[in-house]
Amino acid sequence: MRRCLVVNLDRCTGCDSCVAACKFENHLGLGQYWNRVLPVGPSGTHPDIEMYWLPVQCQQCENPSCVHVCPTGASYKDPDTGVVLVDKSKCIGCKYCMMACPYGVRSFNEQEKVVEKCTLCSHRTADGSGLPKCVICCATGARFYGDLDDPNSDAAKELAKYGEESIHRLTDSAETHPATAYILPAEIAAWKELV
Amino acid sequence: MSKTNLTRRSFTKATALAGLAGALGLGMTEGLKDAPKAFAASAPDVKVYKSLCHGCGMPCVINVTVTDGIATNIEGDPDAPQNKTGVCIKGLNQLHTCYSPRRVLHPMKHIERGTNKWETISWDEAIELAADKIGEAIQKYGPYSFFASSGGGGLYAGFHGYTFQEGFGSPNCFEPGGAQCYEPRAVTAPLMGLPHAPSITDDACLEPFDTYTNATQLVVLWGAQPSISQTAKAGHGLADLRVDRGGKVIVVDPNFSPDATKATVWLPIRPGTDTAMALGWWRYIIENELYDQEFVKYWTNLPFLINPDTRLPFLAEEVWSDYVNPAADPNEVYSNPAYVCFDARTNSIQPFPYSAPADSPVDPVPFTEAEVNGVTCKTAGQIYWEEAEPWTLEATGEYCWCKPEKIEEAVRLYAEAPVAGIVHGVATDQSRGSSQVPLGLNGLDIIMGYVNKPGATITMKGGRGPARWFDRPTAYWTPMMIDLYANVYGFSWVTGYTEKWNRERVENFANKEFQEFYTTLMMDKLGLKEHRGFYNQATCHSPSLLKAIRTGEPYKPRVWFDFSGNKLAMMGNATSWYDIIDEIDFCIGMHPIITSFHFEACDLIFPVQEWLEYNGTGTMLNRTYMFTQVVHLGETVNNYVPSNMILQRYREKYKPEDLMNPAPLLKGDFQDGMGFTEDAVRAKIVDTFGAESWDDLLENQDKYVPMITPEEEYWVFNQHEEIVSDGLPAGFPTESRKLEPYCTMFLLMSRTGFPWIWPQEFPAIDDYSPICTNVEPVENPYNDDEYPLVITTGRLPYFHHGTMRHAPFSRELYPVPEIKINPRTAAEYGIEHMDWVKLTSRRGSMHGRAYLTEGEAPGQLWTERFWNPEAYDATQKNPDGGWRQCNINVLTDNYVDSDVEKPYNEVFGSYTLRGFQVKIEKSERPDNIWVEPEEFEPFMPTLTNEPVTGDVF
Repeated sequence: MRRCLVVNLDRCTGCDSCVAACKFENHLGLGQYWNRVLPVGPSGTHPDIEMYWLPVQCQQCENPSCVHVCPTGASYKDPDTGVVLVDKSKCIGCKYCMMACPYGVRSFNEQEKVVEKCTLCSHRTADGSGLPKCVICCATGARFYGDLDDPNSDAAKELAKYGEESIHRLTDSAETHPATAYILPAEIAAWKELV
Repeated sequence: MSKTNLTRRSFTKATALAGLAGALGLGMTEGLKDAPKAFAASAPDVKVYKSLCHGCGMPCVINVTVTDGIATNIEGDPDAPQNKTGVCIKGLNQLHTCYSPRRVLHPMKHIERGTNKWETISWDEAIELAADKIGEAIQKYGPYSFFASSGGGGLYAGFHGYTFQEGFGSPNCFEPGGAQCYEPRAVTAPLMGLPHAPSITDDACLEPFDTYTNATQLVVLWGAQPSISQTAKAGHGLADLRVDRGGKVIVVDPNFSPDATKATVWLPIRPGTDTAMALGWWRYIIENELYDQEFVKYWTNLPFLINPDTRLPFLAEEVWSDYVNPAADPNEVYSNPAYVCFDARTNSIQPFPYSAPADSPVDPVPFTEAEVNGVTCKTAGQIYWEEAEPWTLEATGEYCWCKPEKIEEAVRLYAEAPVAGIVHGVATDQSRGSSQVPLGLNGLDIIMGYVNKPGATITMKGGRGPARWFDRPTAYWTPMMIDLYANVYGFSWVTGYTEKWNRERVENFANKEFQEFYTTLMMDKLGLKEHRGFYNQATCHSPSLLKAIRTGEPYKPRVWFDFSGNKLAMMGNATSWYDIIDEIDFCIGMHPIITSFHFEACDLIFPVQEWLEYNGTGTMLNRTYMFTQVVHLGETVNNYVPSNMILQRYREKYKPEDLMNPAPLLKGDFQDGMGFTEDAVRAKIVDTFGAESWDDLLENQDKYVPMITPEEEYWVFNQHEEIVSDGLPAGFPTESRKLEPYCTMFLLMSRTGFPWIWPQEFPAIDDYSPICTNVEPVENPYNDDEYPLVITTGRLPYFHHGTMRHAPFSRELYPVPEIKINPRTAAEYGIEHMDWVKLTSRRGSMHGRAYLTEGEAPGQLWTERFWNPEAYDATQKNPDGGWRQCNINVLTDNYVDSDVEKPYNEVFGSYTLRGFQVKIEKSERPDNIWVEPEEFEPFMPTLTNEPVTGDVF
């Protein structure tokens, strides 16, 4: 099972609704984020330019370096769902995982002295019934959630609409094999490798 | 494939990637803050209500979770046809705003203007104080000493906001929008015979979201940014159109907007040059004969020969005195004029009576000259062609800063599509060409025949009036004030009826005193003798009001009731408004929070509800939903209550004898059809949904809400061709019964004030142009060496108008205005990414941070309206009103001190808010504003412990 997000960048307009939705849902304080939307571009020279927005959160790597470096087993990959999670009761706040994460999506909770990150709203989704809040609230219907190994999941169905050339993953420089997929047809903009 | 950095800092700061790698660095985030109290409770009482979001002007359908009496979650309703489960950040912010420490929960009297010091008083004291201040001024100076204002975000009072002051016998109210927002488009379209303006974020143009006929193939977004202004509704609908339904989008916008990034063609037009671009499209379409020839011949007034003396079409009777019009109404009720055309069949001028196209005796030539009564005359089409003729692709491209081949690609996609439509946004309302642009753009859709067709963006769908015409359409069929004027006030010309019928209606109007009173009131509105297009909304011309306050001429307004938000952030030339505050004897406000305007100007403020606190109704496409009051704090009231309470107290106490009973205001109802108390509002909603009681409605929302008009009764087309009561095709509600791209009504309006004040007459002024002509921006890069950069503005997804600058989750993401600037231009001034900069115009200066992007053309800047409520936070050592630091409207002009000749739009009096000249320099962060996320902690919600209270009235 590979539960993760699929984001269709042809639909995303960079409105940050997902960021606020996540913060309300997970009670994150000011300055703390489990997801962000990065403007990529505009690239080119005016007026021959293009851009897209890239929502970034935990990429649900298949081979997560954050898990490998964790000295206490607090960072783990749920064997049933494939979701990477943090067991805060085991976290000693050493931040190794933050250094190991190639995508910079983990944050440190100064009050609890533990590391946190996107859980794919496990409190909503663990039993297989709900959706992450960012997926629900996405103002343009750009975010899809589900098991990529289940062709009937929303995420798999959205990916199936597009050819390989339009499906991208963040650059896998640490060989962590991120599961999260992005759809970006070339006529909107060329995908940029972010390293 | 290019490569850029993705680092932890890029994640936390979300700095733009690509080309900006040098700005990146490492950073860490701050810790988790305390969870709201509600989440700490055990075994919570959880309820979910269906409601509507009012984060912007037009509602989205949402479900609100209330946990132990506190609103804790907002999600879109999965069954909502447009937003589906989506909610934008503006909607989500309500969970903070409703409980914001900035809320006004009780009536408060200002201890001193220019401070944030207030004294809480009772509702009764507040009503008495307001009524006395207004009453005393009226007794001493007369009713014209009172005026009202509305707009700026947060209140959508409609007619109530425009007519409240009439209850005191005063003509004047204004709003920051109106002439600068929607009114030019909303008025021009019906005067040309169209059922609505193609404005997409006012819920007027809903056609692209019609999945029933699913016919939309291409929309042109002209100065409109639906993905920003209405992200979850129109933005979501456009994503569905493009991605799921294969629709194409063309964007005409100086800003590389989110919609532009997805467009098939983007024309980055120079700000303020829309009239030239429109004429360029006209020329190309006529030259290449891409227009709908049959539609132009028989459903438009372009083939009519125009009398060069009057600039109006010849009537057949003016040429052939014995002509008998076959379409004339024997009962002399309906007007069906016959005109004169050049007929291709006979190669001569011929009478052109109204008929179905197949029954027409002529084959009219739209673009030609002919001799009429011994004089060479042009058709209306010929006049348009000659106006457009200089605007070749090359000339248009050079003037508008666009590549000619891109213009050609766009216009060909538009004109060669089987059906398309131009969706026209607010940008051009904020320019001197505010009447000419809708003339030109509506005219393009008309000559293409993109009207009343599946896939067009202007159709006579249900919901805004009858979807089908059985009687001969008149101006009553259009969403215009003529209905109110003619039926309630007893004057105005109703287009489509004969002069005889119109005269009899006015002469036989029952209440003569009332008719006379309102005629005077309408004619005395400030600035409307010059800018008569305002009559549709019946607001006054705000710069004229400002001059009257300054000079006392022709009278001095001195007591002010404001219905809404921050006038000092939203009004053009904000400083000119600040400077007259001392001339105001008493100023009354009502708003959910204190803004700069209340800080600086208001003597009294009434507490009104946030949208989670109010009841009401609203629509999405063919469905009607309800706003549901899910919480209620303090002594807040429905937006309509304070004004009505004051009016009632004034009338009881001062018993004005010479006052007419104002319109529907005092029938015990609100003018917008809702009740006077919360119970009356609830009763009205219960009635709307056919429920048994309020409790029944709330308990069974899924059963009653929404009310649905069947799709086949909502999406209706080609009504103009249907035969109506007089045996002729319905046509359109104009004098000619055809669409009028040559807008005769503008000519008539400039000559007498027709049709609004008819049968009274104003003196003639310079003709309002009946067609799109090129209108130069008041200030532009070619006439200004001192202020070399052109700036334009637009919205962001984080804020609606002047609202939500106190919403911490919006502000941490967008703390201060970004001044978008091309890197080449920035280099000329030594400006680097995220440097603080100062912009200066002839009016004043503002600050922001430079955002270097190739999205802006060299020499052009872009920013958003802003103000800073943190400037008067209790933590500030030297608090101020927060409207001077970062406010674009300190730079804009309302021309009250300008020597520019004719700076306003002729018809609507619009002043320019987009496309004017500034200079830029590096600066420092101004005082009293917050930038870092943690600084916004004082804006986090504090009122979740407030008890949920009952109705005040």
